[in-house]
Amino acid sequence: MWDVIKSVLAAFFGVQKDSQRREDFEQGRPGLFIAVGLVMAALLVGLVALVATLVAR
Amino acid sequence: MRTLLVWLAGGGLFAGSLQTALANGWNMPVGVTELSGDIYSLHMIIFWICVAIGVVVFGVMFYSLFRYRHSKGAKAANFHEHTLVEVVWTAIPLLILIGMAVPATATLKKMYDASDADLDVMITGQQWRWRYEYLGEDVAMTSNLATPRTQIRGEEPIDESANYLLEVDEPLVLPVGQKVRFLFTSDDVIHSWWVPELAIKQDTIPGFINENWVRIEEPGIYRGQCAELCGVDHAFMPIVVHAMEEDEFETWLVDRREAAEQEAMGIDREWEMDELMERGEQVYGSVCASCHQDDGGGNEPAFPALAGNQAMLDDRDWHIDTVVNGVSGAAMPAFSGTLNPVEIAAVITYERNAWGNDSGDTVQPSEIAELMSD
Repeated sequence: MWDVIKSVLAAFFGVQKDSQRREDFEQGRPGLFIAVGLVMAALLVGLVALVATLVAR
Repeated sequence: MRTLLVWLAGGGLFAGSLQTALANGWNMPVGVTELSGDIYSLHMIIFWICVAIGVVVFGVMFYSLFRYRHSKGAKAANFHEHTLVEVVWTAIPLLILIGMAVPATATLKKMYDASDADLDVMITGQQWRWRYEYLGEDVAMTSNLATPRTQIRGEEPIDESANYLLEVDEPLVLPVGQKVRFLFTSDDVIHSWWVPELAIKQDTIPGFINENWVRIEEPGIYRGQCAELCGVDHAFMPIVVHAMEEDEFETWLVDRREAAEQEAMGIDREWEMDELMERGEQVYGSVCASCHQDDGGGNEPAFPALAGNQAMLDDRDWHIDTVVNGVSGAAMPAFSGTLNPVEIAAVITYERNAWGNDSGDTVQPSEIAELMSD
């Protein structure tokens, strides 16, 4: 699970090690990546909204 | 190493010449409000960050091109990926952008905080003049270009001492040291009220109200222009702001209010033809002549001739209605919001009796006032 989160974070950042990418594609379950990706996207939106609210106060 | 030093020196020279260019009027003005100073500093911080990035990136690039050139037998490295380098070149711009966002956000927050203003001024764009209304003070005025049309058309030499195309008959008068809130809107098309020294360039949009504010720190005359292409006379609606000390401003405001009251009293009395003609000529010159021309010749087809316009002379009521209410769907605006009854009566009288028009009738301010109160 932690590996999946790390891979999704790497995708958000836009840089991934080639060896890790191979491993993900050979062993990972696509559904899990999509689910974690959606949750993390929601978290990112929440984080940005939080920062904007704090700053605008 | 020596080559690197040469490049660094070159970069320094480049930055130095930029500094010189900036100091000689090529840059945006620091302005005369606290906020304009903030905006200037922000602009300079971002600018120097960009210069530093440019010097480093191009320095490394030119150095590499020169140091590892083919004729010296350099061999290209051939690798596919390098995670660390990729992370570094992604993270550094990210940090730079966040670093830029912090001061930018702080300045934007200040710009948008128009609360607790000491004075509210409504600024309305109109083809092709500005209207200023001191809300709650019963003072309003229309600001027209003061440069004579004859100079613009080249029939007279340009008066170099008179701020050609930058002077107005009525400047916007503001107090120094007070927070003044501006409310922007437009009667017809989108204009933009731009005064660089106040760091304001705000669109005026029909049906919308935009907000901005200033606290001017130094008395003086600050000039600007319409910054949104708004029709043929876009270049002929300049802005002049006259910032004066607070007590001086209060005196001005009281004088203006009294003058407006005086004018309002003039509505009830009967006006002579001569007075109406004299006043009408002034109003015509500042408000009507930009379209219908000084000689009433118009500019067909958009702007009909008034001299010798028999339909207009035959139908007095239609003439009055057109000036008061405008022509829907045409370029003729309604002047009931811009001119007072005395001005409207005078200008209609003038149009009916100038340039060979000889209707001989006058239009009384009381008639117009009655019409406008309906």
